[in-house]
Amino acid sequence: MILDSALVWLHDTSFGTVIRESVWAEPIIETIHVLTLGVFLGFVILLDLRLLDLVLRRTPVSTVFRQLNPWLFGSFGVMIVTGISLFAGDPVLFYGTIFFKLKMLMLLAAALNVVVFNFTLGRTMMQWDVLPATPRGARITGILSLVLWIAVVACGRGIAYVLPPP
Amino acid sequence: MNELAALTLAFCRWCNDSFFGHAIRDSAWLFPFVEIFHLLALGLLGGILVLINMSLFGVRFGSGSTPELARELRPWMFGCIGVMLLSGFLLFSTEAVKMYGNWAFQFKMSLLLLAVLYTLTIHRKVIDSPRTAVGLRRLAAVISLLLWLGVGLGGRALGYVTTAASPPIGQ
Repeated sequence: MILDSALVWLHDTSFGTVIRESVWAEPIIETIHVLTLGVFLGFVILLDLRLLDLVLRRTPVSTVFRQLNPWLFGSFGVMIVTGISLFAGDPVLFYGTIFFKLKMLMLLAAALNVVVFNFTLGRTMMQWDVLPATPRGARITGILSLVLWIAVVACGRGIAYVLPPP
Repeated sequence: MNELAALTLAFCRWCNDSFFGHAIRDSAWLFPFVEIFHLLALGLLGGILVLINMSLFGVRFGSGSTPELARELRPWMFGCIGVMLLSGFLLFSTEAVKMYGNWAFQFKMSLLLLAVLYTLTIHRKVIDSPRTAVGLRRLAAVISLLLWLGVGLGGRALGYVTTAASPPIGQ
């Protein structure tokens, strides 16, 4: 299958080999991956809580989005790059775990949630921005996002626990 | 000092042998389950600290001032610290005696104590007095971020040093 050979190819690249065989690469990259949660996950949760009217109520939603967006995209980039790097260390092994597949599915769903929001309520944000309460759709988006990202984190932890110890 | 060390070790033994220490250690899924809460609170705490300290540094958030922003975020910040302390304590209890001799753990706990004290005193004071000189506000922001980053780095490190030889424990 194409996927299988792609996984083996990634495993055999010099990049994958370095990650796998270097003593320092894995701990350093994983540390960056985990600590960047402190920006990415933190800002995602804050945005979701804002959509649920639970925090920063006096700041318009659009202002919260505008101010957090560059940080969200920047830290998401770091998460993706470090995540792919860790994956490259042993793609076949990672892909073989149920939690990895689940995590990718949840990531996809979380991304879809963002896209749907941007194309619907996100477009009219300026209209409901100043209302005392956010519309129901925005609250559903916030709850979905919270659930999906918590699932992503949980699956990420799960991966570490089903892998055989190094 | 020797007495303090003995007391600390006794406390670690008690945690190690407590029912929750046993329960989490013996369960296949309780440890990762508690860890998820630790990580989620880490994420939110990090986000809140970045926001408050950026505001302290001069990057305005919305139309609010730093004290206003901090007032809104503080309940969540202390909630996160509470969740992290509780979940961290539970995780610690599964290998408390091992952690006693782990230099990364000692480093993390020392910085944690500093970070919490700093957050409750100097940091809080600087946030709530908007007339503090710009230089001091920035310094306070950088110190806060560095302290908490140190706690996080210590947390990452302790997992990698765990396998190092523990000191003789005695009976």
